[in-house]
Amino acid sequence: MATSKMTMHPSVPGPAEGARAAELALVERCRRGELGAFEELYRAHAGRLFSLACRMLGNPADAEDLLQDIFLAAHRKLDSFRGEAALGTWLYRLATNQILDHVRSRAARAGQITDGLEDATVLADAGEHRLGDRAIARIDLERALAQLPEGCRAAFVLHDVEGLEHREVADVLGIAEGTSKSQVHKARLRLRALLARKW
Amino acid sequence: MACTRYLTQIQEMVDGTLGAIRRAELEMHLDQCEDCHALLDDLRRIHDAAGSLDDLQPPDRVWLQIAGRLRQDGRLAETAASSAPRRSHLALLALAAALVLAVGASLMLLWPRGETPRAPAEAGAGAPNSGNPAAVNSVEDVENELRQAEQHYESAITRLQQIANSSQSSMDPQVAATLQRNAQVIDQAIAESRAALRSEPTSAPARGALFEALRQKVTMLQDTIALMNEMRKGNSAGAAQVLNKS
Repeated sequence: MATSKMTMHPSVPGPAEGARAAELALVERCRRGELGAFEELYRAHAGRLFSLACRMLGNPADAEDLLQDIFLAAHRKLDSFRGEAALGTWLYRLATNQILDHVRSRAARAGQITDGLEDATVLADAGEHRLGDRAIARIDLERALAQLPEGCRAAFVLHDVEGLEHREVADVLGIAEGTSKSQVHKARLRLRALLARKW
Repeated sequence: MACTRYLTQIQEMVDGTLGAIRRAELEMHLDQCEDCHALLDDLRRIHDAAGSLDDLQPPDRVWLQIAGRLRQDGRLAETAASSAPRRSHLALLALAAALVLAVGASLMLLWPRGETPRAPAEAGAGAPNSGNPAAVNSVEDVENELRQAEQHYESAITRLQQIANSSQSSMDPQVAATLQRNAQVIDQAIAESRAALRSEPTSAPARGALFEALRQKVTMLQDTIALMNEMRKGNSAGAAQVLNKS
Protein backbone atom coordinates (compact mmCIF):
# COMPACT_ATOMS: atom_id res chain seq x y z
CA MET A 1 0.00 0.00 0.00
CA ALA A 2 1.35 3.46 -0.80
CA THR A 3 2.07 6.09 1.78
CA SER A 4 -0.18 8.99 0.91
CA LYS A 5 -1.88 10.83 3.71
CA MET A 6 -5.52 11.70 4.16
CA THR A 7 -6.14 15.09 2.64
CA MET A 8 -9.90 15.30 2.67
CA HIS A 9 -12.89 14.32 4.65
CA PRO A 10 -16.09 12.81 3.31
CA SER A 11 -19.08 14.30 4.96
CA VAL A 12 -18.52 16.47 8.00
CA PRO A 13 -20.15 19.78 7.12
CA GLY A 14 -18.34 22.94 8.08
CA PRO A 15 -19.74 24.41 11.26
CA ALA A 16 -21.75 27.59 11.25
CA GLU A 17 -20.09 30.65 12.78
CA GLY A 18 -21.55 30.07 16.23
CA ALA A 19 -20.62 26.42 16.21
CA ARG A 20 -17.11 27.23 15.02
CA ALA A 21 -16.69 29.76 17.81
CA ALA A 22 -17.85 27.11 20.29
CA GLU A 23 -15.34 24.64 18.85
CA LEU A 24 -12.51 27.13 19.14
CA ALA A 25 -13.50 27.87 22.72
CA LEU A 26 -13.55 24.16 23.51
CA VAL A 27 -10.13 23.69 21.92
CA GLU A 28 -8.78 26.63 23.89
CA ARG A 29 -9.99 25.06 27.14
CA CYS A 30 -8.32 21.79 26.12
CA ARG A 31 -5.08 23.66 25.44
CA ARG A 32 -5.26 25.12 28.94
CA GLY A 33 -5.31 21.58 30.30
CA GLU A 34 -8.98 21.28 31.25
CA LEU A 35 -9.70 17.56 31.39
CA GLY A 36 -13.46 18.15 31.27
CA ALA A 37 -13.12 20.04 28.00
CA PHE A 38 -11.06 17.28 26.44
CA GLU A 39 -13.55 14.70 27.62
CA GLU A 40 -16.29 16.73 25.93
CA LEU A 41 -14.27 16.69 22.72
CA TYR A 42 -13.65 12.96 23.13
CA ARG A 43 -17.31 12.12 23.74
CA ALA A 44 -18.35 14.07 20.66
CA HIS A 45 -15.98 12.33 18.27
CA ALA A 46 -14.81 9.02 19.78
CA GLY A 47 -17.69 6.94 18.41
CA ARG A 48 -17.11 7.91 14.81
CA LEU A 49 -13.34 7.47 15.00
CA PHE A 50 -13.59 4.20 16.93
CA SER A 51 -15.99 2.86 14.30
CA LEU A 52 -13.59 3.82 11.55
CA ALA A 53 -10.65 2.20 13.35
CA CYS A 54 -12.59 -0.95 14.22
CA ARG A 55 -13.76 -1.47 10.68
CA MET A 56 -10.51 -0.57 9.00
CA LEU A 57 -8.47 -2.80 11.32
CA GLY A 58 -11.05 -5.56 11.73
CA ASN A 59 -10.08 -5.86 15.37
CA PRO A 60 -11.70 -3.97 18.29
CA ALA A 61 -8.74 -4.49 20.62
CA ASP A 62 -6.33 -2.87 18.16
CA ALA A 63 -8.90 -0.15 17.54
CA GLU A 64 -9.06 0.66 21.27
CA ASP A 65 -5.28 1.03 21.44
CA LEU A 66 -5.25 3.16 18.33
CA LEU A 67 -8.09 5.35 19.57
CA GLN A 68 -6.00 6.19 22.61
CA ASP A 69 -3.05 7.07 20.39
CA ILE A 70 -5.28 9.21 18.17
CA PHE A 71 -6.66 11.28 21.02
CA LEU A 72 -3.30 11.61 22.74
CA ALA A 73 -1.84 12.81 19.44
CA ALA A 74 -4.80 15.17 19.02
CA HIS A 75 -4.15 16.63 22.47
CA ARG A 76 -0.50 17.18 21.59
CA LYS A 77 -1.36 18.78 18.25
CA LEU A 78 -4.21 21.02 19.38
CA ASP A 79 -1.88 24.02 19.10
CA SER A 80 -1.85 23.48 15.35
CA PHE A 81 -5.66 23.55 15.10
CA ARG A 82 -6.56 26.94 13.65
CA GLY A 83 -10.21 26.34 12.95
CA GLU A 84 -9.94 26.52 9.14
CA ALA A 85 -11.63 23.13 9.00
CA ALA A 86 -14.25 21.76 11.36
CA LEU A 87 -12.82 20.08 14.42
CA GLY A 88 -14.41 16.80 13.30
CA THR A 89 -12.67 17.05 9.93
CA TRP A 90 -9.33 17.79 11.56
CA LEU A 91 -9.71 14.82 13.91
CA TYR A 92 -10.94 12.53 11.14
CA ARG A 93 -7.91 13.37 9.02
CA LEU A 94 -5.55 12.79 11.92
CA ALA A 95 -7.29 9.50 12.76
CA THR A 96 -7.27 8.25 9.19
CA ASN A 97 -3.56 8.91 8.84
CA GLN A 98 -2.82 7.05 12.07
CA ILE A 99 -5.04 4.14 11.09
CA LEU A 100 -3.42 3.85 7.67
CA ASP A 101 0.05 4.02 9.24
CA HIS A 102 -0.98 1.18 11.53
CA VAL A 103 -2.38 -0.87 8.65
CA ARG A 104 0.80 -0.33 6.64
CA SER A 105 3.14 -1.27 9.46
CA ARG A 106 1.05 -4.35 10.18
CA ALA A 107 1.15 -5.27 6.50
CA ALA A 108 4.90 -4.68 6.44
CA ARG A 109 5.36 -6.96 9.44
CA ALA A 110 3.24 -9.61 7.75
CA GLY A 111 5.29 -9.34 4.56
CA GLN A 112 2.68 -8.07 2.16
CA ILE A 113 -1.01 -7.60 1.80
CA THR A 114 -2.43 -10.50 -0.10
CA ASP A 115 -5.82 -10.11 -1.57
CA GLY A 116 -6.84 -13.70 -1.12
CA LEU A 117 -10.08 -13.17 -2.95
CA GLU A 118 -11.57 -15.68 -5.26
CA ASP A 119 -12.17 -14.62 -8.81
CA ALA A 120 -15.05 -12.17 -9.07
CA THR A 121 -16.95 -14.40 -11.43
CA VAL A 122 -16.80 -17.25 -8.91
CA LEU A 123 -17.97 -14.98 -6.12
CA ALA A 124 -20.83 -13.78 -8.29
CA ASP A 125 -22.22 -17.30 -8.49
CA ALA A 126 -25.76 -16.46 -7.55
CA GLY A 127 -26.87 -19.98 -6.83
CA GLU A 128 -24.28 -20.43 -4.11
CA HIS A 129 -24.16 -16.98 -2.58
CA ARG A 130 -27.62 -15.48 -2.97
CA LEU A 131 -28.93 -13.73 0.14
CA GLY A 132 -32.57 -14.24 -0.75
CA ASP A 133 -34.95 -12.62 1.68
CA ARG A 134 -32.54 -12.87 4.56
CA ALA A 135 -32.18 -9.59 6.45
CA ILE A 136 -28.64 -8.28 6.86
CA ALA A 137 -28.14 -7.96 10.61
CA ARG A 138 -25.71 -5.31 11.75
CA ILE A 139 -23.74 -7.80 13.82
CA ASP A 140 -23.39 -10.18 10.88
CA LEU A 141 -22.21 -7.43 8.58
CA GLU A 142 -19.62 -6.28 11.13
CA ARG A 143 -18.34 -9.84 11.50
CA ALA A 144 -18.18 -10.39 7.77
CA LEU A 145 -16.39 -7.07 7.33
CA ALA A 146 -13.73 -8.16 9.80
CA GLN A 147 -13.06 -11.24 7.67
CA LEU A 148 -12.26 -9.34 4.51
CA PRO A 149 -8.64 -9.11 3.37
CA GLU A 150 -7.04 -5.87 4.53
CA GLY A 151 -6.78 -4.07 1.21
CA CYS A 152 -10.33 -4.50 0.05
CA ARG A 153 -11.67 -3.96 3.57
CA ALA A 154 -10.07 -0.53 3.73
CA ALA A 155 -11.45 0.46 0.33
CA PHE A 156 -14.92 -0.85 1.17
CA VAL A 157 -15.03 0.90 4.55
CA LEU A 158 -13.99 4.21 3.06
CA HIS A 159 -16.38 3.94 0.11
CA ASP A 160 -19.51 2.11 1.25
CA VAL A 161 -19.43 2.84 4.99
CA GLU A 162 -17.79 6.27 5.13
CA GLY A 163 -19.21 7.52 1.85
CA LEU A 164 -16.04 8.64 0.07
CA GLU A 165 -15.98 8.70 -3.74
CA HIS A 166 -13.64 6.28 -5.49
CA ARG A 167 -11.21 9.09 -6.36
CA GLU A 168 -11.11 10.08 -2.70
CA VAL A 169 -10.56 6.47 -1.62
CA ALA A 170 -7.77 6.23 -4.17
CA ASP A 171 -6.19 9.40 -2.84
CA VAL A 172 -6.40 8.27 0.79
CA LEU A 173 -5.04 4.80 0.12
CA GLY A 174 -2.50 5.87 -2.50
CA ILE A 175 -3.91 3.60 -5.17
CA ALA A 176 -5.37 4.10 -8.63
CA GLU A 177 -9.07 4.94 -8.89
CA GLY A 178 -9.63 1.76 -10.90
CA THR A 179 -8.02 -0.25 -8.12
CA SER A 180 -10.36 1.33 -5.61
CA LYS A 181 -13.34 0.27 -7.71
CA SER A 182 -11.97 -3.22 -8.14
CA GLN A 183 -11.31 -3.59 -4.39
CA VAL A 184 -14.72 -2.29 -3.37
CA HIS A 185 -16.47 -4.48 -5.92
CA LYS A 186 -14.61 -7.58 -4.79
CA ALA A 187 -15.33 -6.73 -1.17
CA ARG A 188 -19.07 -6.58 -1.87
CA LEU A 189 -19.01 -9.95 -3.60
CA ARG A 190 -16.98 -11.44 -0.78
CA LEU A 191 -19.37 -10.00 1.81
CA ARG A 192 -22.29 -11.45 -0.09
CA ALA A 193 -20.68 -14.87 0.02
CA LEU A 194 -19.93 -14.54 3.74
CA LEU A 195 -23.41 -13.27 4.59
CA ALA A 196 -25.05 -16.04 2.58
CA ARG A 197 -23.39 -18.62 4.82
CA LYS A 198 -25.22 -19.80 7.89
CA TRP A 199 -23.34 -18.33 10.85
CA MET B 1 -24.28 -17.78 -12.36
CA ALA B 2 -24.52 -14.05 -12.94
CA CYS B 3 -23.40 -13.08 -16.43
CA THR B 4 -19.72 -12.12 -16.44
CA ARG B 5 -20.06 -9.33 -18.97
CA TYR B 6 -22.54 -7.47 -16.76
CA LEU B 7 -20.63 -7.69 -13.46
CA THR B 8 -18.95 -4.30 -13.79
CA GLN B 9 -22.18 -2.62 -14.86
CA ILE B 10 -24.02 -4.11 -11.92
CA GLN B 11 -21.37 -2.80 -9.53
CA GLU B 12 -21.45 0.64 -11.15
CA MET B 13 -25.22 0.62 -10.86
CA VAL B 14 -24.76 0.07 -7.10
CA ASP B 15 -22.16 2.85 -7.02
CA GLY B 16 -24.60 5.14 -8.84
CA THR B 17 -22.04 5.87 -11.54
CA LEU B 18 -23.51 3.94 -14.45
CA GLY B 19 -24.24 6.14 -17.47
CA ALA B 20 -27.68 6.33 -19.03
CA ILE B 21 -26.98 4.21 -22.11
CA ARG B 22 -25.24 1.38 -20.28
CA ARG B 23 -27.88 1.57 -17.60
CA ALA B 24 -30.64 1.07 -20.16
CA GLU B 25 -28.74 -1.87 -21.60
CA LEU B 26 -28.32 -3.41 -18.16
CA GLU B 27 -31.98 -2.91 -17.29
CA MET B 28 -33.00 -4.77 -20.43
CA HIS B 29 -30.75 -7.63 -19.40
CA LEU B 30 -32.03 -7.62 -15.82
CA ASP B 31 -35.56 -8.10 -17.09
CA GLN B 32 -34.46 -11.43 -18.54
CA CYS B 33 -31.83 -12.64 -16.09
CA GLU B 34 -32.90 -13.68 -12.62
CA ASP B 35 -29.34 -14.31 -11.38
CA CYS B 36 -28.08 -10.87 -12.34
CA HIS B 37 -31.21 -9.32 -10.85
CA ALA B 38 -30.58 -11.16 -7.58
CA LEU B 39 -26.93 -10.11 -7.63
CA LEU B 40 -27.86 -6.45 -8.07
CA ASP B 41 -30.42 -6.68 -5.26
CA ASP B 42 -27.92 -8.32 -2.91
CA LEU B 43 -25.10 -5.88 -3.63
CA ARG B 44 -27.43 -2.92 -3.20
CA ARG B 45 -28.57 -4.28 0.14
CA ILE B 46 -24.98 -4.74 1.27
CA HIS B 47 -24.10 -1.22 0.11
CA ASP B 48 -27.12 0.27 1.87
CA ALA B 49 -26.56 -1.74 5.05
CA ALA B 50 -22.91 -0.65 5.17
CA GLY B 51 -23.89 2.98 4.70
CA SER B 52 -26.35 2.83 7.55
CA LEU B 53 -24.12 1.13 10.11
CA ASP B 54 -24.27 2.95 13.41
CA ASP B 55 -21.21 4.23 15.17
CA LEU B 56 -19.64 1.77 17.57
CA GLN B 57 -18.98 3.11 21.03
CA PRO B 58 -15.55 2.47 22.55
CA PRO B 59 -15.46 1.00 26.05
CA ASP B 60 -15.12 3.70 28.66
CA ARG B 61 -11.79 2.32 29.80
CA VAL B 62 -10.35 3.95 26.68
CA TRP B 63 -11.24 7.38 28.01
CA LEU B 64 -9.97 6.48 31.47
CA GLN B 65 -6.68 5.40 29.95
CA ILE B 66 -6.40 8.60 27.93
CA ALA B 67 -7.12 10.68 31.01
CA GLY B 68 -4.54 8.68 32.97
CA ARG B 69 -1.89 9.23 30.30
CA LEU B 70 -2.60 12.96 30.17
CA ARG B 71 -2.25 13.17 33.94
CA GLN B 72 0.89 11.07 33.91
CA ASP B 73 2.44 13.28 31.23
CA GLY B 74 1.60 16.42 33.21
CA ARG B 75 -0.55 17.83 30.44
CA LEU B 76 -3.51 18.73 32.64
CA ALA B 77 -4.02 21.79 34.77
CA GLU B 78 -4.22 20.90 38.44
CA THR B 79 -7.60 21.72 39.95
CA ALA B 80 -8.81 21.81 43.51
CA ALA B 81 -11.16 18.97 42.75
CA SER B 82 -8.53 16.74 41.25
CA SER B 83 -5.90 17.36 43.93
CA ALA B 84 -8.17 17.21 46.96
CA PRO B 85 -7.91 14.04 49.03
CA ARG B 86 -10.75 11.62 48.40
CA ARG B 87 -13.11 10.53 51.11
CA SER B 88 -12.66 6.97 52.15
CA HIS B 89 -14.46 4.47 49.96
CA LEU B 90 -13.20 1.42 51.82
CA ALA B 91 -16.63 0.01 52.51
CA LEU B 92 -17.74 0.65 48.96
CA LEU B 93 -14.57 -0.91 47.58
CA ALA B 94 -14.87 -3.99 49.74
CA LEU B 95 -18.45 -4.51 48.64
CA ALA B 96 -17.66 -3.81 45.05
CA ALA B 97 -14.73 -6.23 45.14
CA ALA B 98 -17.02 -8.91 46.52
CA LEU B 99 -19.45 -8.23 43.72
CA VAL B 100 -16.75 -8.56 41.13
CA LEU B 101 -15.78 -11.91 42.59
CA ALA B 102 -19.42 -12.98 42.46
CA VAL B 103 -19.74 -11.94 38.84
CA GLY B 104 -16.41 -13.53 37.97
CA ALA B 105 -17.41 -16.76 39.68
CA SER B 106 -20.72 -16.82 37.88
CA LEU B 107 -19.00 -16.37 34.55
CA MET B 108 -16.53 -19.11 35.42
CA LEU B 109 -19.49 -21.48 35.47
CA LEU B 110 -19.41 -21.14 31.75
CA TRP B 111 -15.83 -22.39 31.58
CA PRO B 112 -16.02 -25.24 34.06
CA ARG B 113 -12.89 -27.16 33.13
CA GLY B 114 -10.35 -24.78 34.52
CA GLU B 115 -9.78 -23.15 31.16
CA THR B 116 -8.98 -19.53 30.79
CA PRO B 117 -12.27 -17.79 29.97
CA ARG B 118 -12.44 -16.97 26.30
CA ALA B 119 -15.01 -15.94 23.77
CA PRO B 120 -17.62 -18.67 23.65
CA ALA B 121 -17.74 -18.63 19.86
CA GLU B 122 -14.06 -19.52 20.04
CA ALA B 123 -14.72 -22.10 22.74
CA GLY B 124 -17.62 -23.54 20.78
CA ALA B 125 -15.48 -23.83 17.72
CA GLY B 126 -12.85 -25.74 19.63
CA ALA B 127 -15.11 -28.09 21.54
CA PRO B 128 -16.10 -30.49 18.77
CA ASN B 129 -12.44 -31.14 18.02
CA SER B 130 -11.43 -31.76 21.60
CA GLY B 131 -11.77 -35.51 21.22
CA ASN B 132 -13.53 -35.70 24.56
CA PRO B 133 -17.30 -35.91 24.03
CA ALA B 134 -17.95 -36.29 27.74
CA ALA B 135 -16.53 -32.84 28.33
CA VAL B 136 -19.01 -31.22 26.00
CA ASN B 137 -22.12 -30.12 27.86
CA SER B 138 -25.50 -30.67 26.32
CA VAL B 139 -27.26 -27.63 24.94
CA GLU B 140 -29.69 -27.76 27.85
CA ASP B 141 -26.90 -27.84 30.43
CA VAL B 142 -25.17 -24.91 28.82
CA GLU B 143 -28.41 -22.94 28.71
CA ASN B 144 -29.05 -23.66 32.38
CA GLU B 145 -25.55 -22.50 33.24
CA LEU B 146 -26.01 -19.43 31.15
CA ARG B 147 -29.26 -18.58 32.93
CA GLN B 148 -27.63 -19.17 36.30
CA ALA B 149 -24.67 -16.96 35.39
CA GLU B 150 -27.00 -14.23 34.20
CA GLN B 151 -28.98 -14.38 37.46
CA HIS B 152 -25.78 -13.96 39.49
CA TYR B 153 -24.78 -11.16 37.22
CA GLU B 154 -28.13 -9.34 37.49
CA SER B 155 -28.08 -9.68 41.23
CA ALA B 156 -24.58 -8.26 41.43
CA ILE B 157 -25.46 -5.35 39.18
CA THR B 158 -28.54 -4.50 41.23
CA ARG B 159 -26.52 -4.44 44.43
CA LEU B 160 -23.73 -2.44 42.85
CA GLN B 161 -26.25 0.09 41.64
CA GLN B 162 -27.69 0.39 45.14
CA ILE B 163 -24.22 1.00 46.55
CA ALA B 164 -23.44 3.55 43.86
CA ASN B 165 -26.72 5.37 44.56
CA SER B 166 -26.22 5.40 48.33
CA SER B 167 -22.64 6.65 48.09
CA GLN B 168 -23.19 9.10 45.29
CA SER B 169 -22.62 12.12 47.50
CA SER B 170 -19.20 10.86 48.55
CA MET B 171 -18.07 10.00 45.04
CA ASP B 172 -16.23 12.26 42.69
CA PRO B 173 -18.97 13.46 40.30
CA GLN B 174 -16.76 12.84 37.26
CA VAL B 175 -16.03 9.29 38.34
CA ALA B 176 -19.71 8.68 39.10
CA ALA B 177 -20.70 10.01 35.69
CA THR B 178 -18.10 7.85 33.99
CA LEU B 179 -19.31 4.78 35.85
CA GLN B 180 -22.85 5.57 34.80
CA ARG B 181 -21.88 5.92 31.15
CA ASN B 182 -19.83 2.72 31.32
CA ALA B 183 -22.77 0.81 32.65
CA GLN B 184 -25.14 2.23 30.04
CA VAL B 185 -22.91 1.37 27.10
CA ILE B 186 -22.21 -2.16 28.26
CA ASP B 187 -25.80 -2.76 29.31
CA GLN B 188 -26.93 -1.72 25.87
CA ALA B 189 -24.52 -4.21 24.32
CA ILE B 190 -25.82 -6.89 26.68
CA ALA B 191 -29.42 -6.07 25.81
CA GLU B 192 -28.68 -6.21 22.08
CA SER B 193 -26.87 -9.52 22.45
CA ARG B 194 -29.74 -10.97 24.45
CA ALA B 195 -32.22 -9.85 21.81
CA ALA B 196 -30.08 -11.48 19.12
CA LEU B 197 -29.87 -14.67 21.18
CA ARG B 198 -33.63 -14.71 21.67
CA SER B 199 -34.20 -14.52 17.93
CA GLU B 200 -31.56 -17.20 17.27
CA PRO B 201 -31.10 -19.25 20.45
CA THR B 202 -28.49 -21.55 18.91
CA SER B 203 -26.42 -18.79 17.33
CA ALA B 204 -22.79 -19.07 18.44
CA PRO B 205 -22.01 -15.46 17.39
CA ALA B 206 -24.96 -14.13 19.42
CA ARG B 207 -23.89 -16.12 22.45
CA GLY B 208 -20.31 -15.03 21.90
CA ALA B 209 -21.39 -11.39 21.78
CA LEU B 210 -23.35 -11.78 25.03
CA PHE B 211 -20.44 -13.38 26.84
CA GLU B 212 -18.09 -10.75 25.51
CA ALA B 213 -20.37 -8.02 26.86
CA LEU B 214 -20.56 -9.76 30.24
CA ARG B 215 -16.81 -10.08 30.29
CA GLN B 216 -16.45 -6.40 29.48
CA LYS B 217 -18.66 -5.61 32.43
CA VAL B 218 -16.42 -7.65 34.72
CA THR B 219 -13.34 -5.94 33.31
CA MET B 220 -14.92 -2.56 33.80
CA LEU B 221 -15.71 -3.34 37.44
CA GLN B 222 -12.21 -4.61 38.06
CA ASP B 223 -10.65 -1.56 36.43
CA THR B 224 -12.95 0.76 38.30
CA ILE B 225 -12.20 -0.77 41.66
CA ALA B 226 -8.45 -0.63 41.11
CA LEU B 227 -8.72 2.93 39.89
CA MET B 228 -10.87 4.07 42.80
CA ASN B 229 -8.50 2.43 45.23
CA GLU B 230 -5.58 4.42 43.88
CA MET B 231 -7.62 7.62 43.78
CA ARG B 232 -8.72 7.05 47.37
CA LYS B 233 -5.06 6.88 48.34
CA GLY B 234 -4.49 10.14 46.48
CA ASN B 235 -2.01 8.30 44.30
CA SER B 236 -2.51 9.78 40.84
CA ALA B 237 0.62 8.03 39.49
CA GLY B 238 -0.70 4.71 40.76
CA ALA B 239 -4.07 5.42 39.18
CA ALA B 240 -2.35 6.13 35.88
CA GLN B 241 -0.48 2.84 36.21
CA VAL B 242 -3.73 1.00 36.78
CA LEU B 243 -5.16 2.65 33.72
CA ASN B 244 -2.16 1.73 31.65
CA LYS B 245 -2.28 -1.87 32.77
CA SER B 246 -5.98 -2.28 32.10
